[in-house]
Amino acid sequence: MTGITRRLFNIALGSAVAVGGLSTGILGTWTTPALAQQGGASVVTVATIGEPPTLDPVGTTSDLVSIITQHMFETLFTFDGDWKLAPLVASALPQVSADGRTYTIPLRSGVTFHDGSTVTVDDVVASLDHWTKASPRGKTVAPLVESITAKGSDAVVIALKEPFAPLTALLAMNNGAAAIVPKSVIDGPGALKSLVGTGPYKLLEHKPDQYIRLVRHDAYASPAGTPSGYAGSRKAVIGEVRFVPVPNAATRVSGVLAGQYQFADSLPAETLPRIKDAAGVKPVIVKPFGFPLMIMNTKTGVMANQKVRQAVLAALEPNDMLLAGLGDPAFVQAEGSIYAQGTPYYDAASAKPYADHAAGKAADLLKAAGYKGEPIRIMTSVQYEFLYKMSMVAQAQLEMAGFKVDLQVLDWATLLQRRGDDKGWDAFFTYHTFVPEPSLITVLNPSYPGWWDSPAKREALAAFNREMDPAARKAKWVTLQTLFYSEVPSVKVGEFYNLAASSDKLTGYTPTPWPFFWNTDLKS
Amino acid sequence: MLVYIVRRFAGMMVVMLLVAMVVFVIARVVPGDPAAVMLGSSATPEDIAALRGRLGLDEPLLTQFLLYLGQIVRFDLGESIFLNRPVVQALAERSELTALLTMMSVGIAMLIGVPIGILSAAKRGGLIDQTAVGLAMLAASIPSFWIGLTLIKYLAVDHAWFPVAGYGPPEADLMERMRHLVLPAIALGIPNSALILRFTRTSMLDVMSNDYVRTARAKGLPPLVVVLKHALRNAMIPILTVIGLTTAVMIAGAIVTETVFGLPGVGNLIVSAVLRRDYPVIQGALLVVSAIYVLINLTVDLLYAVVDPRVRY
Repeated sequence: MTGITRRLFNIALGSAVAVGGLSTGILGTWTTPALAQQGGASVVTVATIGEPPTLDPVGTTSDLVSIITQHMFETLFTFDGDWKLAPLVASALPQVSADGRTYTIPLRSGVTFHDGSTVTVDDVVASLDHWTKASPRGKTVAPLVESITAKGSDAVVIALKEPFAPLTALLAMNNGAAAIVPKSVIDGPGALKSLVGTGPYKLLEHKPDQYIRLVRHDAYASPAGTPSGYAGSRKAVIGEVRFVPVPNAATRVSGVLAGQYQFADSLPAETLPRIKDAAGVKPVIVKPFGFPLMIMNTKTGVMANQKVRQAVLAALEPNDMLLAGLGDPAFVQAEGSIYAQGTPYYDAASAKPYADHAAGKAADLLKAAGYKGEPIRIMTSVQYEFLYKMSMVAQAQLEMAGFKVDLQVLDWATLLQRRGDDKGWDAFFTYHTFVPEPSLITVLNPSYPGWWDSPAKREALAAFNREMDPAARKAKWVTLQTLFYSEVPSVKVGEFYNLAASSDKLTGYTPTPWPFFWNTDLKS
Repeated sequence: MLVYIVRRFAGMMVVMLLVAMVVFVIARVVPGDPAAVMLGSSATPEDIAALRGRLGLDEPLLTQFLLYLGQIVRFDLGESIFLNRPVVQALAERSELTALLTMMSVGIAMLIGVPIGILSAAKRGGLIDQTAVGLAMLAASIPSFWIGLTLIKYLAVDHAWFPVAGYGPPEADLMERMRHLVLPAIALGIPNSALILRFTRTSMLDVMSNDYVRTARAKGLPPLVVVLKHALRNAMIPILTVIGLTTAVMIAGAIVTETVFGLPGVGNLIVSAVLRRDYPVIQGALLVVSAIYVLINLTVDLLYAVVDPRVRY
């Protein structure tokens, strides 16, 4: 090595040492305070799929929002482990009048808000009134509500213009939620003035795209009973639940494997073996979780023809779509019943056309429909990769059956906007999270894009919503599902499950579609 | 010099106005609706229309643009639709991370690229030169997200030497937050070091073939003095240019690395705002980033006069 080479080499080496030194200095102290803090017994760090669009639980039906806000806000009712209704801020299930029009809801005493004030009947009346004006779910009930009034100081009465059986389920949902908040934070139909609820955790700090810190609500008044699902007693054992937005799925996996997060939500199915093999981490598979849907435009265009929609159903092979979308058979099930096996509304017989697919049958239906090769405009988005993959398979299957397909790949925000215009599309791919009450399924709402609103469906839905008896409701649901498969407003692709991962140290966790962390603890 | 700077600032104002107009138009022309994103997938068109009304998005575009221009004149970038805070505050919250990440990654890129580039030029055609050029090609070809994921796998997951992602817990001090930036800075610095290395090498080779360098050698000056004092200074203009460009690009262009490492930087803010159609954030952030670009270019131009006395403004 000549003199100059050696000197220049020394400069380069010196630079590298300087970088290394910086890193070493940084590295040397990394393992102590930061790890101790993040793995400390009092803080659970949860990696979520992204930043929630809002922390107001009333105005949005976003699942991500409800996962976080269910710790802060509570509703009158909730669901237990069998998806049955249970009281939460209410002290008992409602007394319903014989005509099904009056609900008297007794309130629990001593429930406190995060600001220290006690929940009054006026707060509850104001919250329910706000829900009917601000929540997408509440707005569907609003036309049926005659009045919401206080009965003494410990009960509210909801009087309806006609019987509406799903009311209690709607009041129990944690998104588009009828959250009980102080009357003083309600500001017209807009967002809440401040995020004050009655839940076991309260908001400490929100740094968008960085973290949301929820800390224990020390004056929390828990409902009684053995914990079951979202119902029963709730105890905030962990001092702080910290939600961290981590949009990259691979990073969520790495973070939980490295111990930086104690829980990571919505992980790719193909990472299951890696999680299984890792020490200190266990996989969490959530069943039921959701179902992908190909929603069709029943109002305008070529899909307004019922026979064309029936041809779509006959042309699609759900198994192929599910496997292409999710990859691992452990995470999918070719299930036609809108409610999966093991849930109260499961019915296989009325879902028989789901499995009755054949390209030949589809071609016959297309011929009978008078289809002349008009392009079917299908909207999909790569932001939900599994939906995008399913739509690619659907395109191939539809083309094999004789359809001409124009697959439009859009970003999710564009798809959400375009689907509002009935002249701009024929079908789009989305997914629906499990909901315990059938009337909450979006496709049944005639205002929801797709606009399924035939006279038979309207009548069947009205009869289902009027029926209060659970057994009779099941029979009426079967009628609706039968119509779903004859009028085909959408194609249910099947069931898919959610993979999450949890630290071994996190105890007491119950797998649910909307993960919650009260009644959980961290082993030191 | 002063006249030059004043003239450049006047030009910058025109550029900013053009950027403001172009960004406003592009943001609104692109389909998508913040109200639909905010309300969630179950929202009906009626719900979306009602929220659009409350957010003022149903006003005519010209009215919205005039309101926006009025805000800019008052140095007010507006209020984010989603973040529930002024755009200036949202940018300020992310500026520390972006500034630190840019400095660290540019520092790493320079510390690797400049010395090896000089060495490579000094030993042109030799083993060191060929190895350096080969490695530079490799480094420039590897995407930063792959480097990032590899660093996470080996240094964060397998050995727990560094955190996987994020910018530290709320109670983290500056040193601890910097620890979170080491892996992202390396992931960004390596591909950029290749660019700086190649520019340094080429520029040095140009300069070292000049007569005055030969003269300096003939005078018997030590090789290190010839290279570092006589050649390097004259080779600095293209190197400064590429360092300036690299710095400017990293301010909002580290998006992929920020996503892989879950970093809430300015790049991430812009991408999230685009996906959510948060118009005030898109407009405000791009305006500020454009201003920084122009300022960095101005700084680089002024530095030319420092490293090369022949340059006069």
